[in-house]
Amino acid sequence: MSGSGTYLYAVTRPLAGSSLDGVRGIGGEPVRTVDAGEVACVVSTVGLDEFGEEPLQRNLEDLAWLERVAREHDAVVQALADRTTVVPLRLGAVYVDDDSAAARVAQLRTAALATLDVLDGREEWGVKVYAVEPPVQNGTAPADRPSSGLDYLRRRRGELERKAVDAQALARDADAVFEDLRTVAVLARRHRPQDPALSGVKQPMLLNAAFLVGRDGRPEFHHAVDLLAQSRPDGAVVLTGPWPPYSFATLDDP
Amino acid sequence: MTGIAPRNESDGLADVLERVLDKGLVIAGDIQVNLLDIELLTIKIRLLVASVDKAKQMGIDWWEHDPSLSSSERNLAAENERLRRRLGELHAAPEAEA
Repeated sequence: MSGSGTYLYAVTRPLAGSSLDGVRGIGGEPVRTVDAGEVACVVSTVGLDEFGEEPLQRNLEDLAWLERVAREHDAVVQALADRTTVVPLRLGAVYVDDDSAAARVAQLRTAALATLDVLDGREEWGVKVYAVEPPVQNGTAPADRPSSGLDYLRRRRGELERKAVDAQALARDADAVFEDLRTVAVLARRHRPQDPALSGVKQPMLLNAAFLVGRDGRPEFHHAVDLLAQSRPDGAVVLTGPWPPYSFATLDDP
Repeated sequence: MTGIAPRNESDGLADVLERVLDKGLVIAGDIQVNLLDIELLTIKIRLLVASVDKAKQMGIDWWEHDPSLSSSERNLAAENERLRRRLGELHAAPEAEA
């Protein structure tokens, strides 16, 4: 049951091995490259007691384990993205040895090179839009207290009806933000909104999008996000990044 | 107003997990795990189970828990919730008799 395997973090163009000096992967293991023809596999050694089929399946259900490994995986990908163009892999690609990883990646090298061409000089930015309520208007100032329970209920119903209309308007607004920003990005993707329990933000997420932006286009993109944020309540528009291009790491339809 | 100086949220666990588990290139490994099934589902469930009451509030009536509402207004809301229930009972009663 013991033994070791090769964990694949990313595919890049051939890299000088020395450029990865000091980069540590999962469990603190040194990160190295394995030649796969015109592309390189970025890998490290992992123990099969943790990454074998059965233990891995079990570990993926363990949030503490998952968080540690996800951060270690991401740290390697980030370190690579600082040095070169990178196609990040999803967590969990484990091979019996380096040769097996190289053989698998070599089969895909033509597509991988095409993706690397698309990703060259570009970075990923995340934009989220939350349903943040605008500040209370004067008409409904707290000083204006309900005169009775019935009055309160009447107001409450009106408020709920307005909320329903607002929800539609907010959804349309999120669409508008996405369409606006895709015009200043190379590629754009909409992801599922994150669950409030996972995002840690109580307001519902209306838009969870990723944009691939050229490094030289960063100011223009940020400016566009800024304009959208300024015309909305504080905290409604959140920008994250730059990320390695996880959302654009695809071989079929880059 | 605040503008949005690019806030690097890459420390956020949700964002890291989302990208590393749900995005990123999938190349079949020799060790087969069913990552696609996992997506973020099990994590969500875990967190939801851990804070189901909180999630309920957030999902159903998040607007009622605006911190800007004073506690006296919250009491008012509770009082009126009781009134609303009482009204419902009163409305239901004649129908039951008819």
